[in-house]
Amino acid sequence: MPVPDRSAISASDTVVELTGVWKRYRQKQRSAQLREVVRTMLRPTVRTIEALRGIDLQVQRGEIVAYAGPNGAGKSTTVKLLSGLLAPDAGSVRVFGLDPVRDRVRYVRRIGVVFGQRTELWWDHSIAASYEWKRVVWDVPRDRYERMLGFVKELLGLDEFFHTTARELSLGQKMRADLGMALLHEPEILFLDEPTLGLDVLAKRQMLQFVKDLNRERQVTVMVTSHDMSDLEQLAGRIVMIHHGNIAFDGDFDQLRRAFSDRRRLLIETAEATAPRLAGADLLHSAAGRHEYVFDASEVKIAALLEQAAAQAQVLDVETHRADIDDVIADIYLRWQHDGKAQALATDAQSSQAQPAAPPAPTDA
Amino acid sequence: MANGLARALLRILQLWRLYGAMDVIWIARDAKTFITWYITDIVVNGAAVTATLLLAERFSGIGPWAKSQVLFLLGYAVLASGLLDPFCNYNVKYVSRRLGRGQLDHTLIQPQPIWMALLTEGFSPLSGTAALLPGLVLLVWATHALHLSVTPAWIAALLLNLLASAIIILAFSYLWGSLAFWAPRSAEEISSSALRTLDQLKSFPLDGLGLGLLGGLLTVLPVGFVAWYPCRALLGIEQSAYQLFTTPIAAAIISAAAILAFRGGLKQYARTGSQRYLSFGHRR
Repeated sequence: MPVPDRSAISASDTVVELTGVWKRYRQKQRSAQLREVVRTMLRPTVRTIEALRGIDLQVQRGEIVAYAGPNGAGKSTTVKLLSGLLAPDAGSVRVFGLDPVRDRVRYVRRIGVVFGQRTELWWDHSIAASYEWKRVVWDVPRDRYERMLGFVKELLGLDEFFHTTARELSLGQKMRADLGMALLHEPEILFLDEPTLGLDVLAKRQMLQFVKDLNRERQVTVMVTSHDMSDLEQLAGRIVMIHHGNIAFDGDFDQLRRAFSDRRRLLIETAEATAPRLAGADLLHSAAGRHEYVFDASEVKIAALLEQAAAQAQVLDVETHRADIDDVIADIYLRWQHDGKAQALATDAQSSQAQPAAPPAPTDA
Repeated sequence: MANGLARALLRILQLWRLYGAMDVIWIARDAKTFITWYITDIVVNGAAVTATLLLAERFSGIGPWAKSQVLFLLGYAVLASGLLDPFCNYNVKYVSRRLGRGQLDHTLIQPQPIWMALLTEGFSPLSGTAALLPGLVLLVWATHALHLSVTPAWIAALLLNLLASAIIILAFSYLWGSLAFWAPRSAEEISSSALRTLDQLKSFPLDGLGLGLLGGLLTVLPVGFVAWYPCRALLGIEQSAYQLFTTPIAAAIISAAAILAFRGGLKQYARTGSQRYLSFGHRR
């Protein structure tokens, strides 16, 4: 069956729809005690991990959505559910109105998947051979294939290594080749799981630019997971943060900063070497009369901090800027770790579109 | 129905052409690789039957089997397992490796039924044929030495039984290999263990064993159907010509069991997925 023509595709704006999705894993617990061996063999202690706890999520056609969260938050589980590799225990997963598991063959024609830590390329064959393999297996009509091949070769700069075997490529080249291959059948949605993992600065920049171009020129919907928040901020207009299987935030990056505190940096240069003590700001470091503080601008006014500084020292210069997104996220993760208030924070976040639903009884995994 | 079947057949041929071409490109990339690959494979397959061959030579046969009959058995055994090699490369034959290493995901994101992917993906008409040559030589030699009456019906029966034996080997691998759906780490190599067991026993005549043991070797561990039983039928040691159909019937039953186990495993996979991923061995 050939790849469906784009004109035949439903024009509905919502392409991804997760409703009350639960996913649980059972994990056997191992004892370190020898005397426990027989007991754990006969009656193993099983811990249930709730990877997703009734999440609701919608993605509109043409969006780039960053999907972020700490390790073990449920990101990869979501990507697997959306790729048809896993079925939910409860709730429903629909993409283009299709069930990714039940309608797998029809569905995977319309999606592209790139897992950063694995490759779809044929190891001992040239990129050209892998691409030809893709054309035949996906049954892409020759003219569409040639058109898309020209597009990805140009934008990803594949010409220089197109006839080299995958095993001889650098990580960045392999990643570009993998991304190009995922696009040859013109998917309507692209799932990228850690696509910049291990890439150097230049390769990362090329990859991000390509995804942006792809989205702009071809209106391909993109869902991307990464631990690199700066990457995600460059790429996506919307960020969905997941924590302990719940959607803890859903909005844009500015809203994220505001929702979780408006963290700012304040750099003060004084004539004295000793750093002034500022109530409402934490001193990060101080050297040679330059003192850097971090504070929450939603709670403390800059003017008040400067007043305090001026009262204690002769202020020579002042700089203030917003905290780096990585710092904001690190702060959030730290806060989650400490007080586990993800759900409360999600409610606080005005921008949050998707609230965790009252949990239905999940089926046993 | 007929249209669907024709389309599926055409698709299989199209994919075999693709994978066949890739195999030729791969193995023929330089003469050294090509020659080394073939020589080592022929030596390995020859060595696998040497013990039985030497026993038959030393004692002028094994049990009720004359030396030439043992040769026929050996040729048949090598051919039956060798028939899988051109179709089951890339660990298609050792399915537990794919499951245990989390590599089924690569198959699941392809827009085709899983059976179609597994049937075609391992096609390697050039690199996978090294075992066929020694098997064929032994079989032809023994057939000639035994002065068998080679009629079209006999050749058809031989081919049918060879195919059935090959299917039994593959089904046995899938039957055990499906355990890797439930225990990916500990069962990762179970297909290779199952196939190794069949491989070690396939070239011995099983006559003279007690009924219980023989029953086990025709059911639980169906090594009897890999060569011994069909060879008895083909050489006329079995009295009834109907015995020629026993191996194909056994192949159908074991395949059905393997399909059921694999489908059950797929349901389990949709629930749990794979928690591990190892890249080696998937794309050679």
